[in-house]
Amino acid sequence: MPADHSGLSSPSLPHRAAVALGAAALALGLAAPPALAQGKPIRIGVPTAMQLQVGRDTQDAIKLAIDDINAKGGVLGRKLEMVVADETENPETGISAIKKLTADEKVDVLVGGYTSGVTLAQLPHISAAKTIYLGVGAASPAITQKVKQDYDNYKYIFRVGPINAANQARELTGFIANFVKGELGISKIAIVGENAKWVQDLVPVLKKGATDAGADIRVTEFFDTQTADFSPLFSKVKDSGAQYLVVILSHASSDTFAKQWYDSRFPMPYGGIDVKSMDGDFCDRIGAKSVGQMAANFAVRAPLTPRTIPFFDEFKKATRRSPVYTAFGANDAVYIYADAVKRAGSTDTAKVIKELEKTNYMGIPGVIQFDEMHDVKPGNASYKGPSFLLAQWRDGCKREVVYPKTQRTADFKYPSWIKQ
Amino acid sequence: MLEILIVGAVSSAIYAMLAVGFTLIFGVARVLNLAHGSFYALGAYGAYWLTSSLKWPLLPAALASIGAVALFGVAVERVFVRPMRSSQLAVLMITLAVALVVEQALFLTFGSEYRNVPGFVDAKVTIGGVDVAGSRLLALAVSVVVIAALWLFIQHTRLGSAILAISQDAQAAQYVGIPSDRIFSVVMGISAGLAAAAGILAGPFLSVQPTMWLLPIVKAFAIVVVGGLGSIPGSIVAALMLGYAETIVAYAASTSWTEIVSVLATLLMLVVRPAGIFGRRAAF
Repeated sequence: MPADHSGLSSPSLPHRAAVALGAAALALGLAAPPALAQGKPIRIGVPTAMQLQVGRDTQDAIKLAIDDINAKGGVLGRKLEMVVADETENPETGISAIKKLTADEKVDVLVGGYTSGVTLAQLPHISAAKTIYLGVGAASPAITQKVKQDYDNYKYIFRVGPINAANQARELTGFIANFVKGELGISKIAIVGENAKWVQDLVPVLKKGATDAGADIRVTEFFDTQTADFSPLFSKVKDSGAQYLVVILSHASSDTFAKQWYDSRFPMPYGGIDVKSMDGDFCDRIGAKSVGQMAANFAVRAPLTPRTIPFFDEFKKATRRSPVYTAFGANDAVYIYADAVKRAGSTDTAKVIKELEKTNYMGIPGVIQFDEMHDVKPGNASYKGPSFLLAQWRDGCKREVVYPKTQRTADFKYPSWIKQ
Repeated sequence: MLEILIVGAVSSAIYAMLAVGFTLIFGVARVLNLAHGSFYALGAYGAYWLTSSLKWPLLPAALASIGAVALFGVAVERVFVRPMRSSQLAVLMITLAVALVVEQALFLTFGSEYRNVPGFVDAKVTIGGVDVAGSRLLALAVSVVVIAALWLFIQHTRLGSAILAISQDAQAAQYVGIPSDRIFSVVMGISAGLAAAAGILAGPFLSVQPTMWLLPIVKAFAIVVVGGLGSIPGSIVAALMLGYAETIVAYAASTSWTEIVSVLATLLMLVVRPAGIFGRRAAF
């Protein structure tokens, strides 16, 4: 478990914006004419890590979608309402959250998730409760493989986002081959990742793919998520003769990593999967020291689909924050579920699942369709599904999409201290 | 090689600042203060809050933060520790409680995200071909100066002599008229201030978040066990040993192995020489 979320910690204060939204929603609900509130409301259960930005954004994004749908009369004349349970990053708590939402709160659908380990532990309980689950945070391919292995028991599970870790690995390999090697002309590469199961699974795939593409992987190094001093690691990477540093970080202290990279004016650019660097405020909160770094993302404020920019602006207006990736999935998931219920003509689980499988929805990061494992289909050259974008932090802590070329909003820029 | 020398020196300096305060309050008041890491965290958060929310310049913010944490340390000693000092176990429990309360308070006030303490220097310095962040060299320099000043203070002032006297024999010191309670307060303040300074100096290049108190207390504990509880020279020597041992392990093997060094050192020392290198007697 990462150091910043010990089991001893209590939920953080509800965000002021969330409270305001909640109050507004409550007022709206009280003021709603009875004609609109026919039938009991459709309850959306939200199991998420409430202390983290991924969790807060999940809730806020769902709230935005619910308010919008309710303002337009709800679904089949029924209002939507949200019930939240804190799943933290601990599987035990995650299971309790699912039990609370399904057994006590009797929700119609679950939208949430963040840590793959927690989601995997929750799956049997979701299946036992026969409740539809739209995942918006966890990336392990094992989650949706369950649907393929045992459809009857796990047909309730869908992943709206993010694209799964296996696809992310493939895309990251593509980034090394097409961008680092192809465009920057750098073939000497170092790979550094945190010591976690998913990284250890991912690195060999990445290494092989990159080597096949002609890259020379000079060093591969894992470090503990508690590591606070990266000087020895940087030194090893530098001594290896590498000229580009690929990182795979999720729970580690990306903030410290970026600060030390900048403070020592480390003589090579870096980029890769860096979950904390997906946060809208990452660059600001480390005093702009990440300028030049590239981090994978699933959406940034760019015209990816007609919904992308409006959502970013709406979210920012409501919360005064930039949304992280769980927000895209969570917001889309509510609309996708509402559409499926409309088409099914009821909230009957079996009927709604059949309709969900036919989903073709213009979402925030791209068009959302599900494959036979109920996993979101990633985009490619011919299909505008959610893509794996590499966005670079630029002066003023703005972000520009640099890779893939089809989505590029600006050309790559070297950090100021590195001569090309 | 030179790089190990420099990086190890910086780690050692921060460790020494943490451990000296921790060992000082133990040596003088026989208080094993588990809230010591909280002083480190509060120092960093104080500087963060004053610079980011109140827009203070860094130097006054840092000094104010150190001062406030020192006062907080005095308050902790006066309110929580003093009434229970007869029982070491009670002191352990109450200081652990203080540490947890501080952690939760930081969670509630600042959230779980990492925060940034600005550095006094932004420049990079190249020494013999090794690039070192200016903020690290500053941390090293300030630690050396502060610890030297503390040494002079203890050896050459009246108050310092009183501190020494109490650490040697609290009862005898009281018989000759040294007000031990007041001395304990002063020492707790110094100890808290040192930890806060370490937090502010390390903040720019390490992480600032609510659970940041835990690792320093583990390191400080390891250092004083190895160096001998209550011995300032012992802490300095042990801080150097641990700082360099970790750095060498990180360079020679892997950074994933560094954290085990301090724990192993503690275990080994407790088995082989429970009094530590410079300790006069076993603390437990």
